Amino acid sequence: MILYDYILSPSCYRVRLLAALIGRRLDLWAVDVHPGQEHLSEPMLALNPAGTIPVLTDDGLVLTESTAILTYLAAHDAPAWLGEDTAAMRARVAQWLAFAQRLTDSAGAARAHDMLLAPGDIDALRGQATQALRELEAALSAGRRRGESFLAGNRPTIADIACFPHVALAPDGGLPLDPYPSIRLWMRAIRALDGFIEMPGIHRLHELKPEPGPMPEVIRKEQA
Amino acid sequence: MGMMGAACSDPCASAPTPDTGDTVPTDWTPAALSDDIPVASAAPGQLGPHDLAIWRSASGRIAAWADRCPHRGMRLSHGFVRGERLSCIYHGWGYGEGGQCVRIPAHPELTPPEAIRVPVFSVAEASGVIWVAEEAPDGPPPEFPGVVAFRSLQVSAAPEALAAALGGTGTVIETVLGGAQVVALIQPLRGGAAGLHLLAPEGSDPAALDALSAEVEALRRRVEAAEEMTA
Repeated sequence: MILYDYILSPSCYRVRLLAALIGRRLDLWAVDVHPGQEHLSEPMLALNPAGTIPVLTDDGLVLTESTAILTYLAAHDAPAWLGEDTAAMRARVAQWLAFAQRLTDSAGAARAHDMLLAPGDIDALRGQATQALRELEAALSAGRRRGESFLAGNRPTIADIACFPHVALAPDGGLPLDPYPSIRLWMRAIRALDGFIEMPGIHRLHELKPEPGPMPEVIRKEQA
Repeated sequence: MGMMGAACSDPCASAPTPDTGDTVPTDWTPAALSDDIPVASAAPGQLGPHDLAIWRSASGRIAAWADRCPHRGMRLSHGFVRGERLSCIYHGWGYGEGGQCVRIPAHPELTPPEAIRVPVFSVAEASGVIWVAEEAPDGPPPEFPGVVAFRSLQVSAAPEALAAALGGTGTVIETVLGGAQVVALIQPLRGGAAGLHLLAPEGSDPAALDALSAEVEALRRRVEAAEEMTA
């Protein structure tokens, strides 16, 4: 599988993150989005006329929507990540995949406005993003009351991976996450998953690794 | 403790309103719910003009510190907890009891000077709520029998407007919301906003709590819409 990828793209990170979590090796093809505008080059437009990334190709299959790519990777290698195989749970996952697009269009667009000088009505974008973040917070707090840490029950699914990047990077778009305790705990749960990988702006949980070296008094005792 | 100097004169100290039956005066300010800051984690908070890093050690000790690493000013609430220390995410400087710096990873053999110390605020937990203050108040924060911590929300409206919508004044309002007897704790936030820390009846079933959650979201919409009209 080839992933046409850009390191700073949250949507590409969705795919890299899921692949890392399920142990799927991808051949990464770095697209020079900035400053090269390579995603709008003839060869890339031939692959994806929409001119967006990520793009995933596998044999004859070409996928250009990151949530569809998540669905494909999970179905291919790790179906548990699709969510429990019930009507309600499958719909719940689909609901959050669509919600992830709202995050891209609001929090993602606010971030692009602030960081990449992309056009947009920043107040309107932040208003839409705040509404989405409040919905997410309410849903996650309802889940916590039932002992659930993730969006579709007690195990992570592609729903969590789809929503996570634009939420974690929301502060880049002038949207602090301070008001959302359940979102903070949910992001911790995702960052604590085995195989979690970082992207610029989203760091790992350092506390999961042991202290690098002993405390000063121990060092001095050893030296004495 | 209260190392930040003079007692604050801004809205972080709640005005006592003894003539209101449903309002309990307290010198503490509600800052978060205990369940929202589990062991070995840190979260941002506010107290008047101060940004706080509220964190819980591996042994369960809660602390509220200035949210600023003395080294380079990074927010300590972005940091990480190992054992009984909070470390800065930027260069890993580790701080222990009383905000004292105890470890500088780039100088592993150095015992950090005493001057490298994070300002510490008073903090106490009661009824599942984390309360903070600049100067240690005379008594403990209030206890509320029969209710348990439910949700914290931020409301883009003045604390007074939120209190009025809940039918009270000040920091602590005991009221009925969506048919449930609740305790609403109101925290003044910067930028004309308010924190609402809600306590719900003990033993409520999930459906009742979902209904209460929807009720408080609706209340927030009403208060914010009214605030926008007057703005």
